[in-house]
Amino acid sequence: MLSVSGLTKTFPGVRALSGVDFTARAGEVHALIGENGAGKSTLIKVLTGVHRPDEGEVTYDGSPVRFATPLQAQHAGISTIYQEVNLVPLMSVARNLFLGREPRGPLGLIDFRRMHREADAALRELGVRVDVRRPLRELGVGVQQMVALARAVSVDARVVIMDEPTSSLEPREVRTLFRVIRMLRERGIAVIYVSHRLDELYEICDAVTVLRDGRVVHTGRMAELERLRLVALMLGREIGEVQGEGLTKFSGGHDAEAEPVLRAEELTVRHELHGVSLSVRPGEVVGLGGLLGSGRSETAKAIAGALPTDSGRVLVAGVPVRPGSTPAAIRAGISLLPEDRKAEGIVPGLSVRENIALAALPGLSRFGLVDEGRIDRIVDTFMKRLRIKAAGPHQKVGELSGGNQQKVLLARWLAMQPKVLLLDEPTRGIDVGAKAEVQKLIDELADDGLGVLLISSDTEELIEGSDRVVVLKDGVVVEELTGDAVTEDRLMRAIATAPAGTGDPDD
Amino acid sequence: MKPTALLRRTSARTLITAGLVTSLALVSGCAKSEDDTGKDKSGTQRGDSGQVVASPSAGSGETCDIAAFGGERTDLKNATVGFSQSEKEANPFRIAETESIKAEADKRGVKLLTANAQSQFSKQISDVQDLIAKGADLLVVAPLNSDGWEPVLQAASAKHIPIITVDRKINATACKDYVSFIGSDFVEQGKRAADQMIEATGGKGEVAILLGTAGNNVTTERTKGFEDRIEEKAPGLKVVFKQTGEFSREKGQSVTENLIQSNPGIAGIYAENDEMGLGAVNALKGAGKKAGDIKIVTVDGTRNAVQGIVDGWISGVVESNPRFGPLAFQTLDTFTKGGKVAQDIVIQDSAYTEDNAEADLGKAY
Amino acid sequence: MTELTLGRVTADRDRLLRLLQQYGVYAGVVVLLLANTVFTPHFLSAENFRTQAVQVAPVLIVALGMALAIGSEGVDLSVGSVMALSTSLISLYLGYGPWIAALAAVIGGIVVGCANGALIAFVGVQPIVATLALMVAGRGLALVLLPQLKDVRDPGMAALGSGDVLGVPYLVLIAAALALVVAFVVRRTTFGRQLLAIGDSRPAARLAGLPVRRVLIIVYVCSGALAAIAGVLATARLTASDPTSLGTLMELSAITAVVVGGTPLSGGRVRIGGTVAGAVLIQLLTTTLIKHDLPPSWTQIAQAVVIVLAVYAARERGKR
Repeated sequence: MLSVSGLTKTFPGVRALSGVDFTARAGEVHALIGENGAGKSTLIKVLTGVHRPDEGEVTYDGSPVRFATPLQAQHAGISTIYQEVNLVPLMSVARNLFLGREPRGPLGLIDFRRMHREADAALRELGVRVDVRRPLRELGVGVQQMVALARAVSVDARVVIMDEPTSSLEPREVRTLFRVIRMLRERGIAVIYVSHRLDELYEICDAVTVLRDGRVVHTGRMAELERLRLVALMLGREIGEVQGEGLTKFSGGHDAEAEPVLRAEELTVRHELHGVSLSVRPGEVVGLGGLLGSGRSETAKAIAGALPTDSGRVLVAGVPVRPGSTPAAIRAGISLLPEDRKAEGIVPGLSVRENIALAALPGLSRFGLVDEGRIDRIVDTFMKRLRIKAAGPHQKVGELSGGNQQKVLLARWLAMQPKVLLLDEPTRGIDVGAKAEVQKLIDELADDGLGVLLISSDTEELIEGSDRVVVLKDGVVVEELTGDAVTEDRLMRAIATAPAGTGDPDD
Repeated sequence: MKPTALLRRTSARTLITAGLVTSLALVSGCAKSEDDTGKDKSGTQRGDSGQVVASPSAGSGETCDIAAFGGERTDLKNATVGFSQSEKEANPFRIAETESIKAEADKRGVKLLTANAQSQFSKQISDVQDLIAKGADLLVVAPLNSDGWEPVLQAASAKHIPIITVDRKINATACKDYVSFIGSDFVEQGKRAADQMIEATGGKGEVAILLGTAGNNVTTERTKGFEDRIEEKAPGLKVVFKQTGEFSREKGQSVTENLIQSNPGIAGIYAENDEMGLGAVNALKGAGKKAGDIKIVTVDGTRNAVQGIVDGWISGVVESNPRFGPLAFQTLDTFTKGGKVAQDIVIQDSAYTEDNAEADLGKAY
Repeated sequence: MTELTLGRVTADRDRLLRLLQQYGVYAGVVVLLLANTVFTPHFLSAENFRTQAVQVAPVLIVALGMALAIGSEGVDLSVGSVMALSTSLISLYLGYGPWIAALAAVIGGIVVGCANGALIAFVGVQPIVATLALMVAGRGLALVLLPQLKDVRDPGMAALGSGDVLGVPYLVLIAAALALVVAFVVRRTTFGRQLLAIGDSRPAARLAGLPVRRVLIIVYVCSGALAAIAGVLATARLTASDPTSLGTLMELSAITAVVVGGTPLSGGRVRIGGTVAGAVLIQLLTTTLIKHDLPPSWTQIAQAVVIVLAVYAARERGKR
């Protein structure tokens, strides 16, 4: 139905896709999976006409095509449903369904009665019953997703691309969605399904294509691919591969006997986390394992007070921390190095010096006046200790390399003398040399007695750096690897085979 | 789940709200303003404050009577008059205008209904419709706009309700849609200001004009009258500076400060309203000038400006008379009794000079 | 000296833009001063400089508060209305003497600032919307309190408006002192640093545990208080309370001064020196056109050109 061959797409500095072959067949649900940066979204954007390929060919219905715009792709019958519903929230359900192709009356005016009737019928067909005259935003996300789906189907789509459609759905809504997908399959529509939830993939998909680093690493029947093998493919590791020490700069093996400095109990965030508990001891590096979307970053943010929790509590050295407040968490000694360094970490327009001093500022001031001398000393200390390479303390952080930005952030938190460091992807987007340095630093900090919670998509980094690994899947802790069990093999097995959450955890 | 956080946030909000409410209460509760002579204004004067017709009622202009307009003769005493004011009474002119109408109605024992459109034209339309609905037999309207009166005029003419418009004309047919218009002649005011300027300066030297708000018909007409008359009567006077003071005292002051530095030889300043004139006085005082060094002529006739003449800082004030009450009611009286009234009645604006300022201070509004 | 600098950088457009953004405003002031010295009669006099300084003082004070608001990636449109409210309050409380009246006016400004800050920090309303609401409400309240212009006869207020120390008017001294204080606050206090961080990247500031809400409220309280002080000074100069016209379009003049002075509208940066120069530049521009009796509409067009230039320089630099 829709296929690509030899597809290559390069962005400045990055080769997003190289030589990708992919075929979506009519009446088949095709899973497209891969970790962050594997090239999934680029591939989808090429298929829907957002990007044009540098090389390679897109074939649709047997003949080569080139979609110049997303609209052309839509008219040709390729519909996309994104994670965030891209409809008009203030308009009614019916108007959204028929946006741009409203049934017209004799005067060219919109025939509202017909539109409402047809909208109602279309949604009923999908098993959704709502008042189609209500504005879309008054409805739940699940229903909105259904409306988007109904719209995609009603434009006589022949290929439907779904990008993580279940990420914000209730289990009941997921069932409805799957029913609809099966219906689409029976009608001979090709469905391309992007998700990280393994259980869903095995339930609904017929074929699978795994991408990694812009290449297709596997394609075949879904049922013929073992879970463990799938996880291994995604993470780019071999099962049972023997790991030699020394590939990363972690020394491993920290004290695992002391009382926990950080304890998170039953953290629950609607749609994200379902009763996550973990603990970190002083001088211990605890890894958080799991696939993209398993709730790793959310766990870190919930602990740091940056994501409001629905229930659960966080204790530092046995004392409960006021939830939902970043300042309270910081005062308690929790520091978070956020995943999105550029948007949530650094203050790009300020200097290295101001960035390092930012969080500690109230402590470095007297009567609201900044003590410049003390700041200079602290900045100097950390710039040396962390080997921050900058033209000087007054260079703007936005102008530094990724690794040095990360070090500046580390320095900012170390200046607060924290008890616990939460590191979310500390080495992502950093060049190899700086990566090793940051890894070594993490090790040193743990040696100094800090509790560290490490999140990394780099399995090798995670396994070698961590004393223990807590494995998350769909917002639930599925396993905790300790001691000799901290291996990539065990990690992948935990991700692959563990059953999904306990049915209906919240509500 | 976050009782403490919630509590804190709520209490912060409550605190702020409480703070706002308290401060508002404070503001209204214990204000104590500076005592000033303005307080007894309404008590002392209002004696001889009526208007005189400048253009004779049965002269060159067209006239109107009840036979031509349609309707029946009535006695004004038994009638209800509705008055629709255009803007909030926030400046001396509007205050005096409304007060004058009310005072005259009181004096004649006529029942008066009033409404204020607060500068919203749609409100003025509904105001007038309300007045009609409440039983007004006659209407006096100070229109905010000249256009857009169709709905009101239809309603009024269906009931044969005579309308008199004051201070601004409406675009409609006199003696059919409405009876008469009573207003000032702004060009004439400019000419008379020019006369005063010529007298004060002896007809020689350079003068400056503080213009009103740009694009306003009052500004254009007061400027035209002044410049025409200077050209005609005193070729020795030259207008060397024309800048807008936007009818405000502050802008008048700023502009004058710049003026007297770049044109130290300026002989006179014509301010197109009193406020700008008073701003100019402030500027002259600030620059160390003495009263009378530079002649100032203004238009409007507010009490502050007339006081300025008494103090010697202002040479002359041309009045723009806001007291439409007596003339409006006299016109209505004549009309309802069956007499002829002019369709365009231009009111007589008086003027204040050194000769009469002190004596007539009480007349100023 | 300026010629030399300019000659060297024409080759390098990027550096030219940076210079234009950072020092363009000072160059503009110098050019206008020189041009006026040559072309405007009686320009070089102590009296004239005094006049210009006095006239610019209230705008400058308002612009200082505006610089803080813009630095926090916000804006305060209510400043003109706060001036009106301030002048009404003075008139209302002058019976207690000038000090109490001025205090009441400043408290009024702080209250409006609190309302702005609360709407922005707690309710999460966009600054432009929140302060627009207060702009409308503030002017309305000012007119309720004092429906029409009223003279201020208090000798203390008159002295404040026209008095001087060694030839330097009080107004100018106060404006200069406030500029120094605000510059100090921005550079040397925790609040100043936090303000810049919040303006540059709010998510990062929040995750770094900064008291974002508190800082934002203080920003708008400062802006309100400064606008109220400007209102007190303008009232003293005018020796009248005129809530109908005082402060109209002041928000635009203040924003212009700040932007022309090189503070980017995207926040994260506050240039007090530039703001002072920006206010002076606009004052000189207006004055030049008035003194040469050019049509008032030219002033507006000239201001627009300056703003476009300033924003252009900022934007081009931002792209790199």
